[in-house]
Amino acid sequence: MKDTIVSMQGICKSFPGVKALDNARFELRSGEVMALLGENGAGKSTLMKILSGVYTRDSGTMEIFGKSYDDLLPKQAQQLGVAIIHQELNMCPHLSVAENMFLGREIMKGFTVDRKAMEEAAKQILDDLHIDIDPGETVGNLPVSKQQMVEIAKALSVDAKVLIMDEPTSALTAKEIGELFRIIRKLRDDGCGIVYISHRLEELQHIVDRVTIMRDGQYITCMDFKDTTMDEIITHMVGREIKEKFPRVTCEKGEKVFEVRNLNAGRMVRDVSFALYAGEIVGFAGLMGAGRTETTRAIFGVDHKESGEILLDGKPIPIHTPADAIKAGIVLVPEDRKKDGLCTKLPIRENIAMPNLDLLCGGFGVVNRKKETAMCEKAVSDLKIKTPNLEIDAGGLSGGNQQKVVVGKWLARNSRVVIFDEPTRGIDVAAKVEIYNLMNQLKQQGIAVMFVSSEMPEVMGVADRIIVMCDGRITGELMARQASQTEILTLATKFENKLAETAAEEGQDA
Amino acid sequence: MNAINEKKKSITAIRGMGAALVGFAGWLVLYVVFGLIEPNIFTTNNMLNLLRSMAKYLLVGVGQGVILITGNIDLSIGSVVAMSAMISATMMSKGISAIVAITAAIVCCLLVGLINGLLVGKFKLPPFIATLGTMFCARGVAYMANGNRNTDAIVSGLGKEAGDAYQKFFYYGKTFGIYNAFWIAFVIFLAVFFIMSKTKTGRHIYAIGSNVEAAKLSGINVFAATTKAYLISAFCSAVVGLILAGQAGMGNMEAGNCYEMYGVAAGVIGGISPLGGSGLLLGAFAGAGVWQTLENGLGIIGAPVGIQRLVIGVIVAGAVLVDVVFRQGSKKT
Repeated sequence: MKDTIVSMQGICKSFPGVKALDNARFELRSGEVMALLGENGAGKSTLMKILSGVYTRDSGTMEIFGKSYDDLLPKQAQQLGVAIIHQELNMCPHLSVAENMFLGREIMKGFTVDRKAMEEAAKQILDDLHIDIDPGETVGNLPVSKQQMVEIAKALSVDAKVLIMDEPTSALTAKEIGELFRIIRKLRDDGCGIVYISHRLEELQHIVDRVTIMRDGQYITCMDFKDTTMDEIITHMVGREIKEKFPRVTCEKGEKVFEVRNLNAGRMVRDVSFALYAGEIVGFAGLMGAGRTETTRAIFGVDHKESGEILLDGKPIPIHTPADAIKAGIVLVPEDRKKDGLCTKLPIRENIAMPNLDLLCGGFGVVNRKKETAMCEKAVSDLKIKTPNLEIDAGGLSGGNQQKVVVGKWLARNSRVVIFDEPTRGIDVAAKVEIYNLMNQLKQQGIAVMFVSSEMPEVMGVADRIIVMCDGRITGELMARQASQTEILTLATKFENKLAETAAEEGQDA
Repeated sequence: MNAINEKKKSITAIRGMGAALVGFAGWLVLYVVFGLIEPNIFTTNNMLNLLRSMAKYLLVGVGQGVILITGNIDLSIGSVVAMSAMISATMMSKGISAIVAITAAIVCCLLVGLINGLLVGKFKLPPFIATLGTMFCARGVAYMANGNRNTDAIVSGLGKEAGDAYQKFFYYGKTFGIYNAFWIAFVIFLAVFFIMSKTKTGRHIYAIGSNVEAAKLSGINVFAATTKAYLISAFCSAVVGLILAGQAGMGNMEAGNCYEMYGVAAGVIGGISPLGGSGLLLGAFAGAGVWQTLENGLGIIGAPVGIQRLVIGVIVAGAVLVDVVFRQGSKKT
């Protein structure tokens, strides 16, 4: 029964500028739950996207049910029985459960859709899984957990034999996780192979048979779960080579500049408290979705705060909108520059001037062109933005130069606190170093720097102090000089143990 | 030689200038073509008439142009035009002084602009729906202003002298040999053009049209910028209403029908992207000129109204088609 159903060998895949997979391999047997583990950017998702036909590989062999395949289309992969359930659900919220399950392959009666037959078929599948959902219900009315069950049922309705789940439990409550695990166990017993991608290492013990660990696009090891320990798993996950050199500047740690007390804003920002001092860079480490971006947005007044205090020089300051934050001297370089940082259709000049028009305008709100040109030229030369002139569309620049424009628009003001959210994502090495140098300059000027990054080597190399977040909470704080990758990752995966709670609750019920 | 090149570069380097210049070139070509078919088109008289008639298209083009730059739309323009004409003419036909009537009409119209700004900027209604609502409401107010009928002649209330003065000021009089209607529109165009290109407000309006998230994260008050744009649009519409009242010497409940769409056409012909963030109001000027020249030329050469509409429709869609094709072409390289 336990025969190998998927075998991938020597898989390589490059994206422009990055080698995402380097001779990776992966093996899945029928009737097992395989955990695929690794840090962000280890190549897990890329590998699974190749298996499900979303990406094509550059080289390597792929066998599914003993037959080797060249490039697959998503549709072909689906016909072979490979189903992927993405972290974000892909469903039409206005359609019913049955309609979603049979989307694109509706059961027809003549020229019309046979609603009744579809609902019956859907009910059959749901019943087999012991999922109690009415097939006629509108998907948008269901809680997220039930929607996820529908997604699983949909995958099984096409007779999936290989089921890939990417972080399936992140949005679920303890009880729902229990339910999901029950279904996963049932599928395993029916002979399906399940690939389970998750950062929640605590949960693995309830469900996983084997683990495959990846790092830097490479296969590291594959072990039986019962023969290993959490510490061993984490040790394999970390240990990324630190190839780059990080420019570090030492500075006297100064006064406390900025403090956040008991900040709450939705599920992803829970009771966050920390302080920033002059002359230091504080790194915020964590896995993707740890709530760091949400924290920066709440501080900056983009998202609504439920409670909490923000203090600058010991005085509480009310921040309801980004304008309040900017006025107080707190600025944010956002994570997604195309979406949140730049007006790509406007010239560099207007992008840099945008938040600084209060400084550039004379009477009647007329922009002082001379002052503006001077400010923009200074930003361009300080940051070494490569552009023929100020009138070029910001969208026409390279990623690194775009990022420098986003940074540049904030440096023209005298800010007290600068928050960088993933400032080096998707930019080349030289531009990265320039961004690090810039942060160091700010640090030397006594400006408090908050540096959010998912790249562990970067945080360790640039920050003086590291705060680690996981699932909306701060789970620890380390001095960068003493921190090890293992320690950071242990803190970054310190999820609240939802299942332990249920066990306790169930104990009480009994 | 070099200096000339430099200067040339600096003019075309202004974004949106290319499209606006193409619009002006198109305007000139159209005018010459019509003139060759029917020499009467080249007479000074016709030229002056053309500029005068163009005033209303220029104003709605400016108003709608500003809204298009924010990435929104204002469907209430035509109804606001009617509201302004009806409110001012009703008051004047009942003997209330022109100054008071003009002020009242403008204030009422600005109120509609404010409501548009609130609905779109504050409550985030889709602009199409929000301004569809205010479009019906404003038309309703226009109907109610004089109890469901067109107004009496302005002169019957104000008296011959004051009534004629109003009509001359807004439509029939000339200053420096050109009709006042054109001057009024031109001055407003210059003022709004200045606001859009030189002031903070203008920058904010372009920014929210280009990327509203980035604008918000730069500390821009999106609600305020949206509302200012709708106020500019409402003001332009109000003035069009006053011009129409001056032209007819009375208020007409159906005045301004479809003007919001003329505004879109003028903007789009002049290269203002309906997706927001780009385009120059200068383009709306060219667009209004193209529009009026077509109407004028086709009318004089005796083309039926159906043909006029058809040609105008082809030009509007064609202008955008050329733009889209050009953009896709430039993306590939």
